[in-house]
Amino acid sequence: MAYTMVQTPRGTKDFLPRDAQRKRWVEDVLQELFLQWGYQEIITPTMEFYDTVGAGDVTGLAQNLYRFFEREGDLLALRPDMTTPVARVVATRLRDQPKPLRFCYRANVFRYAEPQAGRRREFYQAGVELIGTNSYQADAEVVALTVEALQAVGLKDFRVDIGQVDYYDGILQHPALSSEERRSMRLALLKKDYVSLEQLVANCSLPGPERELLRQLPELRGGREVLQEAMAKATSPISIKAIENLSAIYEILEEFDLAKWVRVDLGMIKDIEYYTGMVLEAYTADMGFTIGTGGRYDNLISQFGYQCPATGFALGIERIMIALTRQKGWPPLGKQRILCIALADEPKLSWQVARKLREYGYIVELDVWPSPDQTRDYALNAGFTWIVRPLNQGTIQVLPPGGDWREMELADFVEALRDEEADVNG
Amino acid sequence: MDKLTPLTIAVPKGRLQSAVICLLEAASIDCSELRDPSRRLIVPVPGTKWRFLLAKPADVPTYVEYGAADLGVVGKDILLESRKDVAELLDLGFGACRLIVAVPESSGIENVKELDFNSRVATKFPVITTEYFNRQGIQAEVVELNGSVELGPIVGLADAIVDITETGTTLRENGLVPIADVARVSSRLIANRVSYKVKYATIHSLVVRLRGVLAGECSSGVEGAL
Repeated sequence: MAYTMVQTPRGTKDFLPRDAQRKRWVEDVLQELFLQWGYQEIITPTMEFYDTVGAGDVTGLAQNLYRFFEREGDLLALRPDMTTPVARVVATRLRDQPKPLRFCYRANVFRYAEPQAGRRREFYQAGVELIGTNSYQADAEVVALTVEALQAVGLKDFRVDIGQVDYYDGILQHPALSSEERRSMRLALLKKDYVSLEQLVANCSLPGPERELLRQLPELRGGREVLQEAMAKATSPISIKAIENLSAIYEILEEFDLAKWVRVDLGMIKDIEYYTGMVLEAYTADMGFTIGTGGRYDNLISQFGYQCPATGFALGIERIMIALTRQKGWPPLGKQRILCIALADEPKLSWQVARKLREYGYIVELDVWPSPDQTRDYALNAGFTWIVRPLNQGTIQVLPPGGDWREMELADFVEALRDEEADVNG
Repeated sequence: MDKLTPLTIAVPKGRLQSAVICLLEAASIDCSELRDPSRRLIVPVPGTKWRFLLAKPADVPTYVEYGAADLGVVGKDILLESRKDVAELLDLGFGACRLIVAVPESSGIENVKELDFNSRVATKFPVITTEYFNRQGIQAEVVELNGSVELGPIVGLADAIVDITETGTTLRENGLVPIADVARVSSRLIANRVSYKVKYATIHSLVVRLRGVLAGECSSGVEGAL
């Protein structure tokens, strides 16, 4: 058999039932929360024109796009994120809507990168976009919702770092720097290559205070005190405005009583280039990579011909799943499974009993094996909690876990299940 | 330093190990267990919640990228080759050497541009080498070897090599001459990107202390190791 018949492409993954159930649970919890906050679900095509997601490299992700020609000859790409498709929708179809717009999504996205350390080529995101205002209140809402989302899925020990790209831009825009130096310094900050940063700073012709600030940028992280320190050290009006903005956001988060989950990190640089203001990154102590990312992107929608500020975030579903597994944080998701043995001469009776139990919310499989031996093998090996055999409309035989067959009224059986569930949950 | 925050430091086995120990000891970190690990791969730092993880040098970036170790010490050559997404905090200075392009002296080649379009280059560092030649606009064929790269030109496998050299002795003994520097490399302190956030205070104070040692405030231990 050809290798390609039995494997999946690099960086892709099957979700077998247990993982699929967990994935859906995470997505459902997040979706419900987003909807409660007024974010409406939006669904866009998996593939877009290459020009939409790649041209002008609005995302900085063009290198990593899956590209292909469709038969008409157009160049298409698989979406590398959901923010860009949502921006396209807003610019082309929703200009007249009252602002702000609130959208949420859960979707698979595709990036052609070397699969490693929690990165896959096809992965799943759930997130929100808050579109139409550049107010700091909007950014604060996005951070607050990130915190609530991570709480909702039951994560412990998580943090959300917030930064402001204008702070270091304010330093890098200094006329003493060449565009090549700006590019290299930005890259060194992005990669957290502080050794190269130190060399670049040492060899550039920036004045002393700017130089010192660039050096200290990675160290400007912590709580409220960092904002004061950053303000005192700011060297340009752009940097000062950035700190005013971030302070306003932070104060709201304090009002919401969420600041304890939030850290300021002015050395945070994003790999996606469309961010223009506050940026955020969420992570847990148990895992070596971030679980969520986001920020303000006021110039992305204008790429599609409509000037419109926006902010948002996306969480990595698989990364949340890994973190929950590490923290042993999964709630019990498996319902009781019941196998209802079919009676060859009375199929209707099994059907009715199965339907009754399903009405009560239980998962009931109808036996489809022709011989009792096959039924027994399946029943014993497929992990059923209960096996029932209808005797007549109201009475059944029940094989409980590790017990013996006994005769029960259907109604009593349902009551017994209820009591047991109450015990487990109580 | 916060000795109660659990911290795992990946230390490369072999060439750099003693220099790492001296540097850490100069920064007042108890390395007694690390000096005598016997066969253990994980050794504690007495009186702290810190521990060392002894790894093959090439694996250090992997442990750190995945967060299995918070910090690691690794040569810049290995770091460049591994392309791992880690924070690079400090140039530790030791293990300094050059990554060079070398050719047989008999070839008469003095400049990489003279390597013709179907040149083969043997190296342990295919990623760095490919990137370097791409930057030079030379379409060289990169041949990956796992050791004794100098052998390549001697037996006609390759026209040039890219390798690390400290003194150039091995090159000379094999009739090779360096014609270009690819990079100057030395040991780096690297950190997992999330550990750097989560354990920032602990890591930062360690970095400050190491910086002090490297600046010569108490460098005697390190000097001894080099």
